[in-house]
Amino acid sequence: MIQHFPVLAIMTLFLASFLVVLFGSRNKIVRGTITMVAATVPLVLMICLIKPVMIDGQVISYWLGNWEPVNGWAIGIGLEVDALSLFFALIVTLTIFLSAFYSLKYMSRDDTLEKYYVLFLMLSGAVLGLVLTGDLFNLFIMIEILTFAAVALTAFRNNEDGPLEAAFKYLVVGSIGSSLTLTGVILLYSQLHTLNMAQISAMLQNGQNSTTVFAFVLLLTGFSIKAFIVPVHPVAADAYTAAPTSASMALAGMVNKTGVYGIIRLLYIIFMTMGLSSVQNLIVTIGTVTMFLGVTMALNQHDFKRLLAFHSISQIGYVITAIGLGTALGLSGGLYHAMNHTLFKGMLFLCAGAVLYSAGTTNLDRLGGLAKKMPQTCIIFLIGAFSISGIPPFNGFVSKWLIYQATYERASQTGNFGFALVTVIAVVVSVMTLASFIKVTQSVFFGELPAEFNNVKEAPVSMRIPMWIMAILCIVTGVLPSQVYQYLIRPAVNAVLSPVKYINVMMGNGYAEQFLSKAQAAPDKSVALAGYWQPESWLLLFIIVLAAFTVAALLGKKDRGVQSSSAEVTDGKYATFYSGEKNEFSRVGGSDLFWGLKYNLRHYFGFIGNIHSGVVNDYALWAVMIFAVYTVFAFIFLL
Amino acid sequence: MQILWFLFYILIFPGFLFTMFAGLLLAGIDRKVLAKMQRRIGPPITQPFYDFVKLMGKETIVPDAASRTAFLTAPVIGLVSLIVTAVVIPIGNFLAFRGIADVIVIIYLLTIPAVAIIIGGASSGSPFSGIGISREMVAIVSYELPLILVLLTVCKKAGIMLTGGMTFSLSDIVVYQFYNGTMISHWAMIPAAIAFLMIIPGEVGTQPFDIAEAETEICEGTMAEYSGAPLAVFELSHAVKMFVMTALFTALFLSGWTTGSIILDTIIVLAICILVTIISMTLPHASAARLKVEWLFRYYWRIVSGLALVSLILVWCGL
Repeated sequence: MIQHFPVLAIMTLFLASFLVVLFGSRNKIVRGTITMVAATVPLVLMICLIKPVMIDGQVISYWLGNWEPVNGWAIGIGLEVDALSLFFALIVTLTIFLSAFYSLKYMSRDDTLEKYYVLFLMLSGAVLGLVLTGDLFNLFIMIEILTFAAVALTAFRNNEDGPLEAAFKYLVVGSIGSSLTLTGVILLYSQLHTLNMAQISAMLQNGQNSTTVFAFVLLLTGFSIKAFIVPVHPVAADAYTAAPTSASMALAGMVNKTGVYGIIRLLYIIFMTMGLSSVQNLIVTIGTVTMFLGVTMALNQHDFKRLLAFHSISQIGYVITAIGLGTALGLSGGLYHAMNHTLFKGMLFLCAGAVLYSAGTTNLDRLGGLAKKMPQTCIIFLIGAFSISGIPPFNGFVSKWLIYQATYERASQTGNFGFALVTVIAVVVSVMTLASFIKVTQSVFFGELPAEFNNVKEAPVSMRIPMWIMAILCIVTGVLPSQVYQYLIRPAVNAVLSPVKYINVMMGNGYAEQFLSKAQAAPDKSVALAGYWQPESWLLLFIIVLAAFTVAALLGKKDRGVQSSSAEVTDGKYATFYSGEKNEFSRVGGSDLFWGLKYNLRHYFGFIGNIHSGVVNDYALWAVMIFAVYTVFAFIFLL
Repeated sequence: MQILWFLFYILIFPGFLFTMFAGLLLAGIDRKVLAKMQRRIGPPITQPFYDFVKLMGKETIVPDAASRTAFLTAPVIGLVSLIVTAVVIPIGNFLAFRGIADVIVIIYLLTIPAVAIIIGGASSGSPFSGIGISREMVAIVSYELPLILVLLTVCKKAGIMLTGGMTFSLSDIVVYQFYNGTMISHWAMIPAAIAFLMIIPGEVGTQPFDIAEAETEICEGTMAEYSGAPLAVFELSHAVKMFVMTALFTALFLSGWTTGSIILDTIIVLAICILVTIISMTLPHASAARLKVEWLFRYYWRIVSGLALVSLILVWCGL
């Protein structure tokens, strides 16, 4: 029974997208029902798979049309769900569900909504298909569907300035990525005469020639573009900003995770090149550059959503860095951070959406003081901001902590001082993340309330529910890391590090052993979380001290209470101190904060500001450039 | 019984009461010594205690523009996280909660009070606080880089000997010093120790590094709208932070010994803390004017980070 779940999940989403366009164009309720059912079913199916795949360690395979391998050659398309696929599938389906839920209300002011849902469900189906498939060509098709659905979603609000331009950039760069992926698939097929990833993985162990190495480069570039690493990141920044927020959440939460998934699958399982220190250095370098450039760009932004978009790039940099270390601890940190990123970044995008919905703008220089009008959104935003900045006990802390440990451990193992610098950069980037979220907090939720926002209302309940769900998940994954590690991360890490089972389930027992010179036993990765982070004890400490302090404060304070003004008090006692200045002249705009930082780094900021020219030709050139860099690298180090 | 000890640790000895006492004592000594250096008589050493009690009794005014919850909870959260940090810093050889002390966790716990100041200041709605929080954030970015370099150096130094790799555990660092002499007696660690001494006033926010509060320029910045009990809590946090930072310095660079008696150990640690306070906070306060915002950043990223990096490289080379 359970082997049908993956295909059912993918089919539900694609089928629903056709049903929406057939039946949903007139009636709002029909449309909403179809979408919500289609968004819920895959989530439930994937949750049902946790027990067999994550806990019992099964790998689920499914041959479409029952075309099973003949004489050791895979002919048909196969779906294969190991713990890694399921891990990403869970992230993806959760994002789909929450994004769909949120969009019901959020998108209600737009027209031609059936088109939005068609595209959204197409995107969802394609992403889910991508992480569940076991076939390389099928994977390419899913990439194509998701790219074009994402481009169209980016351009959905095409009555405004940005979306068409952003979509055009995404289209150009995304197409370069897709074409390179396709070329890579073709080259692999010409060499190995199969498209099944498990079989390719096994056959490549016989040794690689220059053609397969070139295919590796092509696929790596394709996935790098999907993950929006530096230098193709400006596309992501534009797209996330221009897309409707529920779609931005989907793009940041799951579409760039497909790139991460692809890179892991490619490096660890298909080509198994991760053991080479040259590949590790390449991936770690790229990841570090990505996280640093992303966060410094974010410090410079004036728009809420655009700032979040650059943070998204920066956090993916963390994930890529951790994955590139090639150790179990690094992988754990990377996967944990990928999951956390989906949770907190999705949540922050939803907060930005709520601000846009209620106040009508996301310009940081115009907003202010919304905490009084939107208290719940403010609390959720603060949870998200603390999570992404890695402040304990929220989830970002756990994963960043793992990443610091992993990089420094790697530095100690290899004696490579560069990895130690990576640790330092990672911490500094984390602080800068905090800095730019302080800027958002100050300029959106705190500070003075401009008169034009006096009538702003809290976001509707149906928008707040998904936000609360994510906020709670952020806290849960931060407070119970050992459980999360036990049931989600560790199986996925084991699946990545021991591909024999992945190959054997697909191709029949004993297949992998023919090719893998040494039959790799699944390494016993019973790493307790290395180190001493025990959030339960810390939280207990924290709560007890907090309680003790509250008691002491309450005892010391008699019935005096805390004063607050009534509306008619105008004696200035409760007014803010302006030192004689008129208060409309004394506003501190969002982009005026951090002068001390920007002044010292003005040459750097000027330089990166110039690089992000906004010209699509440049961006396309960079996509080609990263391809060239990979090619040169591969032919020097891998042959 | 276990629970009672637990509560005792948190509330009395390394926890709330003791840290509060030690912090206010350090603040008082700081003020007295500073006055002596400036040829003033100065307030009595107990003055911070009086200030605290008096402020607790004053009326708390929440401005209309402020968002109440954040405004009132921020100071408490900051103080609580400082006390939690204090509980896990070893005093001599005594560690109340063995096994959960981790250097990275402590770095992050130490940023929470600064974040609390920022959130509190931001929520007050004052433009002076707006400038104050941006300066506070610049200060955090400035001292965080040298801080992490120093801590990685110490971890590496202790780790090479104990495990061959690295350690992030504070108790391991103490154990290392127990067998190999205090950290500061290794000459490669001296630049890191000096760097840490320079970080302490920045982290605590005393003049010349008090750009976020700068009462002569921006009316106490982040504290501009605070009064009464919340202000008292912030002042207390400031004092406790002095103790936490100096105790952390002691644990990282000057620990590993024990006299066998916990009371004697505590007194010696307190004495070292007073000495460190005078060297790292009182002296610069007495001798330098407040730095400009952009100078602060440059100072920490060039001079202090440079010192820390020298140590890290030396340790990496096995010295």
